Amino acid sequence: MPTQPPSSRSLRFSILSAITFLLFVIACNAIADAPREITMGLVQKIFYFHVPCAWLLMLSTLVCAGGSIAYLFGGSERGDRIALSSAELGVLFGLCVLVSGPLWARAAWGVYWQWEARLTSSLLLWLMMVAYVLARRYGGPSARRLAAALALFAAIDIPLVYFSVRYFRSIHPQTTVVSTLVPGMRGAFWLSLLAFTVLWWLLISVRVAVEDRAAEIIDLEVLLDQAEEKKA
Amino acid sequence: MKMVVLAYGFIWLAVFTYVFIVGRKLGRLGGELSELRRRIDKIRPS
Amino acid sequence: MTGSFWRFTLLIALKDLRIEGRSREILYTMGFSAALVVLVFSFALASASDPAQGPILAAGVLWSSTLFTGTVALARVLDRERENESIRSLLLSPAPRAAIYAGKVIATSLLMLAVEILLTVLVGVLFSTGVFTHLVWLAVILLLGTLGFAATGVVFSAALLRSRSREALLGALLFPIVIPVLLAASRATACLFDPLSPDLDPVSFWTRFLLATDVIYISLGLWVFEPVVSGD
Repeated sequence: MPTQPPSSRSLRFSILSAITFLLFVIACNAIADAPREITMGLVQKIFYFHVPCAWLLMLSTLVCAGGSIAYLFGGSERGDRIALSSAELGVLFGLCVLVSGPLWARAAWGVYWQWEARLTSSLLLWLMMVAYVLARRYGGPSARRLAAALALFAAIDIPLVYFSVRYFRSIHPQTTVVSTLVPGMRGAFWLSLLAFTVLWWLLISVRVAVEDRAAEIIDLEVLLDQAEEKKA
Repeated sequence: MKMVVLAYGFIWLAVFTYVFIVGRKLGRLGGELSELRRRIDKIRPS
Repeated sequence: MTGSFWRFTLLIALKDLRIEGRSREILYTMGFSAALVVLVFSFALASASDPAQGPILAAGVLWSSTLFTGTVALARVLDRERENESIRSLLLSPAPRAAIYAGKVIATSLLMLAVEILLTVLVGVLFSTGVFTHLVWLAVILLLGTLGFAATGVVFSAALLRSRSREALLGALLFPIVIPVLLAASRATACLFDPLSPDLDPVSFWTRFLLATDVIYISLGLWVFEPVVSGD
């Protein structure tokens, strides 16, 4: 599949990077300006990054599943590359959720882990994305199809995991990460969410471009071998 | 608060590390690609 | 589902079970290792011998051991095909792929259920819990939990047929996905085992959850099995 000429792609990436950077500057400003939460103070501000990362983890899982469907049922190589890239981003942002979450919890409730519904669901989703990457790498000849099946089960598991953990936890007191948003905080939150989503878009574009190039290199190597054979 | 700094710091670090790794790979593959194209053009100047 | 689908499903399930029935190798080895897993858990958790904890521990150990030995069953049921490449002949046969999937799921589930009965008795004894007070409910939960696990596991085990790291990967890929099943089943079972629980409402809730989860997993498995297994 012909890839875009390098110059136009670099331009696209540069513009996207600039937009991302700008959005983050604006968002961070808004976060700094946002009112402090009454009970938790400064620590609550972690959630401006924590929640968008959780959202990106879920987005990555869904996109991974979408790409996997395209690959499994449509034979789409592009879908497969998107799935892989998306899974890696899922691992990345999932890690961010799982580090920021306990830090927040420690400051808010004194313990790092509370089996809170959303955090536990994020943990499981993250494990599935890690499993995807492992399956791709070590799954043998059918690695891509194995991973694709995994992605589909992971996506369908999102609601199942969430509900089962939530009702599992109804024995214990319900502790939630996300407190209700005061109007002054909403702007900062949505800006942060936007900035992160654009960042995700940038990262996945770059990562898919890497896979595109790798595929093209293989094609060219084959072509080169053929050409050299003909010459000889 | 220490936790806030740690949380934000980790996220930035993780994202930039990933960007760095992927960006480097993109550059390296780009180099390989141009090299291959050059070699093909030398053999088949079409 | 047409009549021929069920005919093939039954054929495949019975073929596998007949093979296992003849040598009984898998039944004995599975049963023994499952019992050992239960013992290991019992020793490790011996300090928590508070009698009030009995039902919860019994349920938890039962389902954890089931999951671990279930991976053995999955590997075995698909192993036969790996050994003499008979998966190829199976795929070339007129049997619809979905029937192969269903047959394998049924065979795996029945194998697991046989061992689970032994395990239930064992945990009842080791944790001094009355396990057979609500026999029908117990049977339903064992069946639904096992089905959920097998429905997912067969897909991955089949996809891993030609992978070298199959043993290492199967559990790693499967467990995060079946956590909702584990949660639901162990919660329901714990309530069943507990003589002090006021009513069986949690049991009926989790049973309905398990039913929904099984329907989802089986549907997805039926859909995905063919593209995952065919090709190269």
